[in-house]
Amino acid sequence: MAELKKTEIGTFLAKQGILIAFAAFMIGFALANQRFIELDNVFGVIRSSAILGVMALGVTFVVIGGNLDLSVGSMMSFSTIVVLDLHDKLGPGLAILAMFGLTLALGAFIGFLVGYLKLNSLIVTLGMLSAIHGLTLTWSGGKNMDIANKSGTWFAVFGQERIMGIPVPILIFALLAVVLSLLLSKTPFGRKVYAVGGNGQAATFSGIPRARVVFMTYLVSAFCVATAGLLQASRSMGSQNTVGQGMELEVLAAVILGGASLMGGAGTVFKTVIGVLILGFIQNGLLLVGLDFYVQYIVTWIIIILAVWLDVAAKRGRLWSPIA
Amino acid sequence: MTPQDRKDLFKRGAIWAFILVELAFFSIVGDAISVSDKAFMNVDNMLLLLKQSAPIGIIALGMTIIMINGNIDLSVGATFALAAIVLLDSMTWPFMQSLGNWAIPLAWVFALLTGVALGAINGLIVWKTGVDAFIVTLASMLGFRGLVFMYNGEQPTSHLNWTLVDFAEAQFLGLHTATWFLLGTVLILWLVMTKTVHGRNAYAIGNNREAAVNAGIRVGPHFLLNFMLIGFLAALSAVVFYSESGSVNPNDGMLYELWAITAVVLGGTKLAGGYGSIISTLGGVIAIQLLRKGLGHIGADTQTVNLVIGLILIAVLILDRQLNRKGQEELKI
Amino acid sequence: MKMTRKLALACTTAVLGSAAAAETMTIGITQNNVGVDSYQTTYEKAFIAAAEADPNVEVVVLDAGGDVARQIAQMEDLIQQAVDAIIIWPTNGEAVIPAVRKAHQADIPVVVTNSNIAEQGFDFIASFSGPDNITQGSRSAEIMCDKFKDMGIADEARVVQISGQPGYTTAIERAKGFEDRLPEVCPNVTLVETQPGDWNREKSQQVMEAFLVKYDDIDGVYAGDDNMGVGALNAAKAAGREGIIFVGATNFSVGYEAMAEGDYWGSIYQSPVDDAEAALQTAIDVLNGEDVPFLNYFDTPKITQDNMDQFSKPVF
Repeated sequence: MAELKKTEIGTFLAKQGILIAFAAFMIGFALANQRFIELDNVFGVIRSSAILGVMALGVTFVVIGGNLDLSVGSMMSFSTIVVLDLHDKLGPGLAILAMFGLTLALGAFIGFLVGYLKLNSLIVTLGMLSAIHGLTLTWSGGKNMDIANKSGTWFAVFGQERIMGIPVPILIFALLAVVLSLLLSKTPFGRKVYAVGGNGQAATFSGIPRARVVFMTYLVSAFCVATAGLLQASRSMGSQNTVGQGMELEVLAAVILGGASLMGGAGTVFKTVIGVLILGFIQNGLLLVGLDFYVQYIVTWIIIILAVWLDVAAKRGRLWSPIA
Repeated sequence: MTPQDRKDLFKRGAIWAFILVELAFFSIVGDAISVSDKAFMNVDNMLLLLKQSAPIGIIALGMTIIMINGNIDLSVGATFALAAIVLLDSMTWPFMQSLGNWAIPLAWVFALLTGVALGAINGLIVWKTGVDAFIVTLASMLGFRGLVFMYNGEQPTSHLNWTLVDFAEAQFLGLHTATWFLLGTVLILWLVMTKTVHGRNAYAIGNNREAAVNAGIRVGPHFLLNFMLIGFLAALSAVVFYSESGSVNPNDGMLYELWAITAVVLGGTKLAGGYGSIISTLGGVIAIQLLRKGLGHIGADTQTVNLVIGLILIAVLILDRQLNRKGQEELKI
Repeated sequence: MKMTRKLALACTTAVLGSAAAAETMTIGITQNNVGVDSYQTTYEKAFIAAAEADPNVEVVVLDAGGDVARQIAQMEDLIQQAVDAIIIWPTNGEAVIPAVRKAHQADIPVVVTNSNIAEQGFDFIASFSGPDNITQGSRSAEIMCDKFKDMGIADEARVVQISGQPGYTTAIERAKGFEDRLPEVCPNVTLVETQPGDWNREKSQQVMEAFLVKYDDIDGVYAGDDNMGVGALNAAKAAGREGIIFVGATNFSVGYEAMAEGDYWGSIYQSPVDDAEAALQTAIDVLNGEDVPFLNYFDTPKITQDNMDQFSKPVF
């Protein structure tokens, strides 16, 4: 009996643990510094997390499908550079379309390799990290890309404007989160993603086209990366070739923190959003109480381990691992 | 010889065949377009190649064992940096300075202990919490890097000791100090993996953890030991490299984990565990370094180097799949 | 054996002198991180163009990708290839010293370009060719101080600094020049905080966002180059904070444009083309046995909104 009860508590913690931790965290920092929960500060944090967040939404699909994507940072640099370059050549509208097309093509290529050729996603996306960086440098000739006429274009609307007092990047992040959440939880495609990630072999036997589903998850990821590139480009109207460098691991950290299992088959868009927000608010909160940026790394380390530990402990019904 | 044996032999030979192709390509193309009068394939250049393979190579050798276990370690780059800082900084501590040149071996010991300690942290967490190694080490990659910054802020840590530099630059029997460390590590780890119980257990656990547990292998301590080993090797790599350079930036070693994993995979080790070889990893490391060196030799620019390295990695995977039709296991983490 | 070679080489240089110039010379360069920003990319192109224009010069162009280990390996490769001279753009001003010594021991003259190595390595190099970064830092301080005096806030102004990559000599020297000069010209201006922006526009934007959260009153920002300066400017704009005086260094085209729009006050004009050509010329002069100043600076003047019409827009 006692064992059962423990399991129940465990299940509850596993389901809501990340929310409880988040709430405790916010209350703690709010008590330490009033400014932390002022609307301006909250908006500021979410706005600067939006780019990472949008990318994390897409990676959530890939991870639930049982794969990894380490190329998103490099691909985001590509999107940013391409849209900035084409802006002056084609005008903003066409530039955005073309950039989405090209980024989706990259996503399709990765999806083909991982989905249809069944290559290992870690190594494929690692290779693409390097290859896409080469592609970006080839495109730009290694130069920074800047929009020549910054005041004569509506391009800044995505990164810099507000609608009804809310910064546009937050709106885009929220909108995309809602749409993708519905896609994942309410559609046949979403169910197939869980099925493929949960047990690829069984999914194949039950007639789910594993290859096509995996392929699609990388398209979703590429779409999100393109959106992130758009936000980034619009925010600064100019960029270096290395703008997204290193973001792949931060994105993955947010997704894991949100509880998506790297075994595949588990995780939700909503929890990923929480994961992103936790990372953003940790950074901001530590800064406000006057700690250096690297303390954030150490805190993130501990929080990730604790969060995931709690999660697996709840699932197996005991705290310590049964490994002898 | 069974067909399986032949296939194995072929696979093990593949990386060395690839190296030969690279050598031939860069020699021929190099002759045609390089401005250097010296041939690419000359003894000195090949000796340098070995030496330059050492920093990533020593780490990749440890990564091979971790990956044979079916685990992975993403924190080695940060461990490398922290060990380097301890190495250089410890030589400036007052009591160390009074020791004269005896401070050098002591500084090495401090650095190596740092690596072992960081590895032990990872290993203990993997063992006791049952959280997957990928997540544990992804998180500690951040955490260890945080410790690196905590040590000296964003400033570099420097200590130039010419005795140490002279030792690191020395050549014995034609081979550089770094090469000796690399080859020594290869020899010891090859012996461990092929001749000892620990090596056999590593393969057994990677093949089928359940079965290994049932066979009475204590998986937890085995993991702990291997994580301490890779921590030690990451620190050894730092000792070898920074003895010759004398200054470490807090960002040094970033992406080393990815290059090490790349080398291991090029060498044919399976990410799912249970299969892999130390000697082939050495081949993988040499192949990558040769690629960089050769592309520089024929005058390829930065973007080409990035493109080629990325695409070759994918091409090798496709080739590997063709050779091993059974279908690669997905990375189950 | 080694002695003889050294002696022979010394004789050749002394006796033949300029006669050697007629022969083709091979010069190797290992750069810091091409493609990371426009300055370095433009530098590389200008360097290759300058080398192609000279029929007596062949160049081996390498890029370390910002990785110290790779740069040291490239130094070894160049020594092994027995090039006539090596130009190095250090990834880390201290870590490359042993590699530079190796070249020196192999009797290959080394010219350091753009960002100097630390003083312990001075014995092993033939010359440094590049901007005088300490002077640049003090000039930036003067630009900022003059502006504060015009605005009448020289007695109360508060300044933050975003410096370049830690450990990188250019970053250290510019920060030192600025920090030393500012109290001399404007003793009552406070430098509130310095954080590195790593020569990176994004990083700098994040650093500035953090400054804006922490400090309600910021009157001026000094950035180690315009790339970072514009990142900081973007952060201030996004937060709706106006009236901040931005001063940078290494005038980028984005900085020039922001000055034209009145958002950005001033900078230091430094051309990567001059930088690259000066480095190549210094190496050629060294090989020809000509006298080269040990610190071979090229001029980098002040540029502000007031005098920017005298300068053409930077190409990078």
